[in-house]
Formats: sequence, C-alpha cells, structure tokens
Amino acid sequence: MKQYLLNRMLSGVIVLLGISIFSFALVHFIPGDPVRIMLGEKATKAQVEQLREQMGLNQPLPHQYLTYMEKAIQGDFGTSLQTERPVIVEIMERFPATAKLAFAGIGIAVVIGLTMGIIAAKYKNTLLDFMLMAAASIGLSLPSFWLGLIVIMLFSVQLGWFPIAGGTGWKDLILPACTLGVLSSAMISRLTRSGMVEVLSHDYIRTARAKGLRESIILFRHALCNVMIPVVTVVGLQIATLLGGAVIIEQVFNWPGIGALAIRAISARDFPMIQGIVLLMGFVYVVVNMMVDLLYGLIDPRVDLITEKEGR
Amino acid sequence: MNEVSKTVAHGATHANSPIFPKLAFWEKIKKQRAAKLSLVVLLLISAIGIVGPWIAPYDPTESNYEAFLQGPSAKHVLGTDAIGRDLFSRILYGTRVTLVVAVMAVGITVSAGTMIGVISAYMGGFIDHLLMRIMDILLALPGIILALAIVAALGPSQTNAMIAIGISSIPSFARLIRAATLVIMSSGYVEASRSIGTPSWWIILFQVLPNITNVLFVYMTLFVGGAILDTAALGFIGLGAQPPTPEWGTMLNEGKDYLSDAWWLATYPGLAITIVVLAVNRLGDALRDIFDPRTQK
Repeated sequence: MKQYLLNRMLSGVIVLLGISIFSFALVHFIPGDPVRIMLGEKATKAQVEQLREQMGLNQPLPHQYLTYMEKAIQGDFGTSLQTERPVIVEIMERFPATAKLAFAGIGIAVVIGLTMGIIAAKYKNTLLDFMLMAAASIGLSLPSFWLGLIVIMLFSVQLGWFPIAGGTGWKDLILPACTLGVLSSAMISRLTRSGMVEVLSHDYIRTARAKGLRESIILFRHALCNVMIPVVTVVGLQIATLLGGAVIIEQVFNWPGIGALAIRAISARDFPMIQGIVLLMGFVYVVVNMMVDLLYGLIDPRVDLITEKEGR
Repeated sequence: MNEVSKTVAHGATHANSPIFPKLAFWEKIKKQRAAKLSLVVLLLISAIGIVGPWIAPYDPTESNYEAFLQGPSAKHVLGTDAIGRDLFSRILYGTRVTLVVAVMAVGITVSAGTMIGVISAYMGGFIDHLLMRIMDILLALPGIILALAIVAALGPSQTNAMIAIGISSIPSFARLIRAATLVIMSSGYVEASRSIGTPSWWIILFQVLPNITNVLFVYMTLFVGGAILDTAALGFIGLGAQPPTPEWGTMLNEGKDYLSDAWWLATYPGLAITIVVLAVNRLGDALRDIFDPRTQK
C-alpha cells in the first residue's frame, strides 16, 4: 500500500513537472516580443526593459526555468501585471468561491445523475427510459453558457426569483450551481444507466429477488455499489476541472471565482497570472486523481491497490 | 517489397474486410433511425453552411438604424440585434463560420493525434512511453483551459481559436488511436509482415491505417461536437471569432446584455448550436454502436 502510494505520488510529481514546463513555455510561445505584447504598444522602452528584467526574460532559458520553479515551490508565482498584487494572493482570494460553486454543482449533478440513471435502468426500454436518456443526450449537447443565459432570462429577469448575477451569497449560488449540476449530470446518468443495466442482468440480482429482498435494497446495496467505479472516476475528473474554475459558467453568472479570473487574465495577457492558474489546475488534478484512486479500494473491496499497481 | 510480403499484406486487409465491409456500413446506418435522422439533419445544416450567404435576406454585418432590437416579424423572421442587423441572416452566415472552425480544428486533432497514436503504438518502448507521458501531462489540464492558454499565447482570433481547440484535443485523440492501433498490431497479419521484413511505413500505411479507419471515423465524429461547443465558448468569452463576424458564440455574447429587452438575441444562436451538436453527437453515438463490438448484439 505504501509502495503504491509512493508510486502514485511520484507519477503525480512527474505530471506536475511537465505542467510547470508547459506553463513556463507559454510565455515563450508568444509570437514576437512577449514583454512588448504584455505591456501593449504604448509602453516605453524603459518599461519594457524593466519588465524583462523583473520577469528574468533576459536570462538563458534553463536558468529562467530553474528560477521560476524555485520561486513556485516557495509559493511565489510572481506579480499580476494587471493588479500588481502577488498572483498567489489573488488566486487564494478567489478559491473559496470556486470551491463553493464546484461542490454545490457536483452535489446536484450526482443526485440528478444517479437518480436518472437508476430509474432509466430499472425501467429499461420503456418510454420513461427513452425520455430520460434523450434528456441526457440534450444535456451533453447544450452549450453551458447558453443554458446559463436562458436560466438567467427565465428565473431572474422574467420571474425575478433570483438575483441576476454578481454576488457570492447562497441565493446567488443556486442558479450557477444548478446549471453546472444539470450539465454534469448528463454524463453521470448515462454511465449509471449502462452500468446498472448490465449489473441488473446478473445472477446474483435474480437470487436477491428470488429470496424476496426489497427492490430498494437490491437497487442501492446490490447493484449501485457495483457501478460506482466509472461514476466515481467521472465525478473525480469533473471535480478536478471545476475546482480549477468553471470558466464559462463563472463568466456567465459573473461569479468571482478562478475561472473568471483566468478569462480576465487571458484577455489582458497577464502571463504571470495565467501561468499561476495553469499550475494550480495541474496540482488540483493530481491531488483529486490520487484521492479517486484511493476511493476505488473503499467502494469496491475487490480492487486491490497493490495488484492494480502491478497491472499498470 | 517482395511478392510474399505483398501477398501477406493483401491477405491481411482482405481477410479483415468482412468484419467492416463498406456496404454493410451503410446498411447498418440505414437501419439505425437515430443515425439516419442525424445524418439528414447534418447534411441539411452543411447545405445551409454552403448556400447560406446566397439565401440570407440581408447582409449579416450591415446595420439598420431604423430597426434596433426588433422582435421576430415577417420582415425579420428572428428579429434584429442592437444595431439593427438581421438575426436570421447572421445565423445563416454563422453556420459556415462555426462549421469551418470546428471541422478545421478536428482536422488538426485528427492528423496530429493519429500520427502520435500510431507511432506510439507501433514503435513501443521508450518513444511510446515518452509520447504517452507528454499526453498525460496535457490531459491533466481541462481541454478548455489548455485551449485558453494557447489562445493567450497566440492572441485572440478565429484562426488561433481553431488552432487552440485542435491542439487541446490531441492528447485524448492520440490515446484512443494508440489503443486501436495496439489491437491491429497484435493481429497475425501484422506479425507475419514484420517477420518477413516488410518496411514499417508500408505496414503503417497499408495495414494499420486502413484497419483503424472505422474507429478513426467514429472518434472524429464524436470530437466534432466538442469542437463546435468549444468554438462557440471561445467566441462567447470574446477569445474566438471577433465581432462583427457572425459566429454563434460571439452572437450570444453580444445578446447577453439585452436579456430583458430582446430574448431572441440570446435564444436563437444557442438553439442553432444545440441542434448541430445534438445531431453530431447522436451520429457519433450511433456510429460507435455500429462499430464497437462490445455493443453489438
């Protein structure tokens, strides 16, 4: 177990190193002089040279990368070009809002997705199943920003039930969280349905029915546990994505999270901020993935982490 | 190449063909109602993309100062926007813009992804390991963030959005193609070809690629839906096609400021995106059902 954890951590570190190289290289992908582009046309030569010096862009590349990493490990991601405040402070200020939205959204997605998937599987090949899965298909094809706009138009503008956008209170959370939840539930419900349909055809389910167990116990204890592995994987991936900021939804609802910060930084070409956010996303992804791996063993005791390691 | 290897190779493609014969493919599509319907819808939308500019009643970028924010009427079927441009004409023109960007983006994904996937599976060993680790690293970033980061470096424009969306899907596409190639690589005919010294490029070109075409086609379709959504998303946040280009996402962005006065501006472009993506996704699902042996009855 320890060996397995160590291996997972090692591969996590490798992914993080790769992402650090990618985020470092971003500045060097910019066609032309990156400093000139970041500061805009009006910047004086002295300003350009000063920023070049400040970002260490006049040093050799390996030296630049090592300095960048040395600072990043100490939590110093540089200073935002827009606000002139430390990148890490800006990101940390916005993280609670993003986390609140991510967990609320995923919570709703899991409840809706599992319910839809279980019902569709239970009433397989009926009109209900067809309608639920058609809804899931539409959910997968809906642009998140459009659903967001329609929801605002309907519930905030027309009915006036919720504030239009901009706050971080609980009432402000409901619409963006529901939009995220509905969209993410589409994938979960499809996975749950296909898994449940397969499991419900197994002999042990027939045995459970034959001995007169209640249908709810059969569905939730005997069947659902066995379809949770792919569901947990997808939920984990979605949490990792959303914790890095539900970029589009945050923008639509004016939610002051990391996603909105990312868009602002990109529009202003604030590279220290963009690099910081990319690194953070990589870090969140690695941590969440590791937690999901550990969860597998808890959900399904047959998944032995040691043998899984050997299988890889 | 010597005669023996040619015979082995021909035998291989031939022996493999009954599994996915070309005629059977159309027969299967014809039998699937969802696939047939999606295909018809997509053909119709593509036709609109081609002839849109000729059938559009107005110039999509011409403002009409006497027709601000007018609701749907006989004169303007879907209404007008804040500077009096006809929404229906803009959506018609936008079909071409959105489809071209999405298809070109998927083109980038497919060509680079297939190359990386096939080379990785075929070469194995260190190169496979290296390529797949790089793909893993890129997969650690959500697709839209990867695309945004690339747009940040290249600068916001329609072409750069296309490149960014294309690149951001390469990792997952390459992984899928690698898996499909590995299956072909383990078959007897490839082993036979290799054992008689057939050059690698020949095996890849005439044995591996023809046999993964079906899989490639399915994945390509499944990726087009995502590319359309990403194109519109980048347009919506102002980092894709720039105004006054009539791109659907950009149009929604312009419409979001008039939610209380002009519902049609934020409704119809989104509906257009949903219909296209739904049709593409349904077709992709149906094709996957047809080709994936695990879902075959």
